[in-house]
Amino acid sequence: MSDSTPEYPPGPDAPVTAPAIGHDEWVARHVERRLPPRLGVYEQRLRQVPWWLWLMLAVGVACLLPVFTSSGYWRRVGFETVIYALLALGLNVVVGWGGLLDLGYVAFFGVGAYGYALLDSPHYGIHMWALVSIPIMVVVGALVGFLLGLPSRRLSGDYLAIVTLFFLQLFQTLATNGDQFLFGAGNVTGGANGLLNVDPIDFFGHEIAVSTSSGEFAIAYYFIALGIFLLVFVALRFVNESRVGRAWRAQREDPLAAEVMGMPVSWLKLLSFAFGAAVAALSGTVFAALNASVFPLTFYFVTLITVYTMVILGGQGSQFGVVLGAAIIWPLLELLRSPDDARVIFYLLLGLGLLLGLRLSWKLPAVAAALIGLGFAAHAVAGAIRDSWTAGSAGGWASGWVIVPEHLASWIPPVAYIGLIGAALGLTLVRGWARLVLVVPVLYLAAFVWENVMLAKPEPTRYIVIGLVLVSLMIVRPNGLLGERRVEIV
Amino acid sequence: MDKFVALTVDGLTLGSVYALIALGYTLVYGVLKLLNFAHGDVFMVGSYIGFGTLNLLGGATDLAVPLWSALVLITLAAMAGCALLGVVIERFAYRPLRDAPRIAPLISALGVSFFLAYSMQLLFGAQYRDYNLFAVPGNPLFLKGFHIGTVNVSLVRIVIVASAFLLMVVLWYLVNKTRTGKAMRATSFDREAAAMMGIDIDRVIVFTFVLGSALAGAAGVLFAIRVPTQVSLGFIAGLKGFTAAVIGGIGSVPGAMVGGLILGFAESYSAGYIDTIHIGGFRIWPEASGTRWTDLVIFVLLIAFMIFRPQGLLGRPDIKKV
Amino acid sequence: MRRLKLILPFAAAALALAVAAAASARPERTASPATSTKISCKAPMKIGFATPVTGGAGFLGTEQVSWAKYAVKTLAPRLGLKVTLVVGDTPVEQGPAVAQSVAQKFIADPKVVGIIGPSTSGAVAASSAAYFKAGLAHISPSATRTSLTQGGQKEATPAFFRVVPGDYIQGPSDANFMVTKLHVKKVVVMDFQEPYSLGLADAVERTLKAKGVSVTRLSAPNTTTDYSSYVTRVPGDADVVFFPTQKPGDAQTFARQLVEQGKKAKVFGGDGSNNPAQFNTPGAYVSNFAPDITGIAADKALVAGWKKDNPGKAVGSFGPPTYGAVQVLLNAIKLACNQGHGSLPNRRAVVRNVKRVRIPNWILGGTFRWSTKSNDPLNAKFYIFQIQSNGSYKLVG
Repeated sequence: MSDSTPEYPPGPDAPVTAPAIGHDEWVARHVERRLPPRLGVYEQRLRQVPWWLWLMLAVGVACLLPVFTSSGYWRRVGFETVIYALLALGLNVVVGWGGLLDLGYVAFFGVGAYGYALLDSPHYGIHMWALVSIPIMVVVGALVGFLLGLPSRRLSGDYLAIVTLFFLQLFQTLATNGDQFLFGAGNVTGGANGLLNVDPIDFFGHEIAVSTSSGEFAIAYYFIALGIFLLVFVALRFVNESRVGRAWRAQREDPLAAEVMGMPVSWLKLLSFAFGAAVAALSGTVFAALNASVFPLTFYFVTLITVYTMVILGGQGSQFGVVLGAAIIWPLLELLRSPDDARVIFYLLLGLGLLLGLRLSWKLPAVAAALIGLGFAAHAVAGAIRDSWTAGSAGGWASGWVIVPEHLASWIPPVAYIGLIGAALGLTLVRGWARLVLVVPVLYLAAFVWENVMLAKPEPTRYIVIGLVLVSLMIVRPNGLLGERRVEIV
Repeated sequence: MDKFVALTVDGLTLGSVYALIALGYTLVYGVLKLLNFAHGDVFMVGSYIGFGTLNLLGGATDLAVPLWSALVLITLAAMAGCALLGVVIERFAYRPLRDAPRIAPLISALGVSFFLAYSMQLLFGAQYRDYNLFAVPGNPLFLKGFHIGTVNVSLVRIVIVASAFLLMVVLWYLVNKTRTGKAMRATSFDREAAAMMGIDIDRVIVFTFVLGSALAGAAGVLFAIRVPTQVSLGFIAGLKGFTAAVIGGIGSVPGAMVGGLILGFAESYSAGYIDTIHIGGFRIWPEASGTRWTDLVIFVLLIAFMIFRPQGLLGRPDIKKV
Repeated sequence: MRRLKLILPFAAAALALAVAAAASARPERTASPATSTKISCKAPMKIGFATPVTGGAGFLGTEQVSWAKYAVKTLAPRLGLKVTLVVGDTPVEQGPAVAQSVAQKFIADPKVVGIIGPSTSGAVAASSAAYFKAGLAHISPSATRTSLTQGGQKEATPAFFRVVPGDYIQGPSDANFMVTKLHVKKVVVMDFQEPYSLGLADAVERTLKAKGVSVTRLSAPNTTTDYSSYVTRVPGDADVVFFPTQKPGDAQTFARQLVEQGKKAKVFGGDGSNNPAQFNTPGAYVSNFAPDITGIAADKALVAGWKKDNPGKAVGSFGPPTYGAVQVLLNAIKLACNQGHGSLPNRRAVVRNVKRVRIPNWILGGTFRWSTKSNDPLNAKFYIFQIQSNGSYKLVG
């Protein structure tokens, strides 16, 4: 029997098989996925560019948005992307830096929005200067975050998740029923109707209109949002590079060791809650100002999951990552509203997926060619059997390749959809040749389901995509695009 | 007095269903230390499977088999279907994350929950699906029953409570009197030690999911025979289910049962009684709006529990060894 | 020191952004291309439709869209217009905020000259201001909240119109029917803690109390599916439970649970509970802003045509008013085109011409005229149906 003691630490060309001594298995499995040497060098070089340069670049490009599009709709989408980027930054503080699973985060978003609406609308007749009410709401948000953190100090991951989730539900209940408060307080939150006619942001009394004279989105708000984003990013960056940030990192990696070392772990948890809540409240105020209204359902579960997806996709713990996540997810969601754009996205992602999965080997063109060929063949056969099988109105420019029946029998969508899921899951179980061959019909089935079933109802489809992204991210790449690889040493 | 009796019956009916859902949460948490957020959606899928099976059997007005056989069949179908769904979810969404930081499977569960709920909406639409058992010829389920004073206790409620009870007894037996149950309990105490003792952890976990999801499926059917089901049911039911599990003590099987009943009673009594509360002439609760704040009452209750007694009523305090 | 050196460029950048914001905040004197383009009436135009096609209220939107498509297909060529319908989905589960995004999408598209909808009152309140500023007429076939067009603080703008009467008619008319035809002494009024039901419930309660009827008010969260506990609170001698839900399935559940618990009260649903497929408990009442148009002789050809395009679907109550709304909008566009001699100077021309429209063979019966006092139809009424033992709706009031 040969001496199979692995060398420690493993040299650069040591075979990465079983977990090496001293490494956690989870880490080891992900360390396996290293980039090929050439790309690795580029990655190294890119990492050496100072962060503030990246930030200026990103903001600079963002400033050019109004040049690229004059459509009020897309400019507004840009604004919302910046708001979500802010939210993602705040959530990053709690989840990425503090390591706390806060499922009540968008309640702070709501607190900021409602607070601003109450201070700057005809509801109570107060019309504070925005430069006064916004900082007030930031402080209030931090306070509320602090208060939520107080009873949650000693709770571990799962229990904290439950309590914060219920806080979200509590906020929703309060907001929806807040037109009948006790003790004569009466109508506070406007109930399910929400609050309308919220004032726009004003600069020392001079109001900045939320829409142009023709009702389109006023680009000023985009720049305001960008400015706030810049400040928040820098501020959070400085916090992270200070003692507090280092303490957060220690507490996140091993709370017990940190406590034993004398760090005020409870206080740190409260701080991360407070910072996250403050950022969320800030974004809430600008959001409420632009929409000139607040409604309870905006601050509920769907928004929460969306922000979480952005944070996870971008990489928890990395500020640029979460901003990138927001920049990808939000426009994606908007594009998925319209079937034509959604179609393009599907095929793009299909291509991207094949590229990433098969790299630049010979397999890529082989699979692509097989897929295209199968498509046209199946289409021709279906059309030959019966004309109505390919005469449907779905499919757009792809209707010559995908089978689009004119009338879909009612059993087809569920069977095709569930069949697709089953086939996709089964695909993960096979390897090698079988996988390559089987991936072609499965992808064609996916295109069929996409065109005929999912694009018929864009709204649920958007959220199905989110759910899928979340699950697959956690399994395939939990550190997201730019996040650090996390280790939990037990 | 009659009102009290009626509300107690309500609470019992509601509570039995919540207890079944809570049991699923508790079983999985005990073994995997994972809060399966997708559980509520499995419950919802169960009710839809029951609906589909009922229609296959001809629908309420045209049943091909006697009513009782139909009910048993759809419950079994839902249990089987949900068990399969639970196994698939575990295999593909949770097993790869078995050794990951605890946050990872939680987030994956959130994603699965989202995916399930919206997939059902995509495929079956968001409108109500009614088992329509009211329209069964003769309407035995709702019109027959017995009377306590002037309160009607309809047959359907007896069916629900009895079935839930029966299932809980079966579960208790499986967990406490069989070898696999013993393996489950061992795994929930200490997974590594159990593995070293020769227990096949994967099998045990699959068994747990089968049990929990089957119970959720049964709960789905038992719920839907009285009240129409729809896709957004999963989220609310899930929330209430794990409130019940947490109140009773997550990780403890009798705790889940107790917690479910408590939650059922809390909901029915607060909806029925919180109306106008007077204290010395000063009206504390606005008129007609007491029922609005039912949710609030439950959540405040839960948060109080979490802060002062996180292990719930019957759970073990979570002691970490350094 | 390092920190300070880093702060300076950011401060400069933030300042630059502030200046950019201030500069772009000056009121734009030139209107954006979308609103100022002259549109030729021979060119293809678009009508936007903001309605919930998916989600809990999806049955409403899908029905309305089918009728709107049919209306555009049959009426536009007759008026000499080339019009396509663009649908924006506003699922109710996401609240009224979605309507604002959809509004922005329509506003930014220069080919859109008018809007049908928004279908839900909350969505109207959220997006009317934006449409008004953009000069887009928005005609709703189903938003009945009173405060949209009535009262001191109207939630909708002058560019909002509706072809069905508001709840300020539905509430009192339902209450009056209960008193005069059903001779009620005791009524339970429920609301579901959301705008539609709150408004209706308040109106009905007010009218009933004024007529000396004893009213018990109950309130359930919107997410309730099991109403047993509320049923226990219904007094045994109550005659009617007013149940203004937007989910017909809930009305069905409640009616059955009333029977199950042996209460004699009958359910009285608002226009939101209209759905013979889902709510068909015999003896219950439903109010609606449209009669059953299959009984109107003049609509026979229309109905036949719609049925041909939509095989296997039944004529509902939300569809026909949508057809009417499209008819009004298309006529307004035509009038504006005539005024502008073959082209529309801008979208606002359509808004100005909406109230000039009069339709003699209105799909809901009679002639359609606008009220002079508000953007509501003149003399519109609500119709009350009773559910028969076979589940069909019969007109009784």
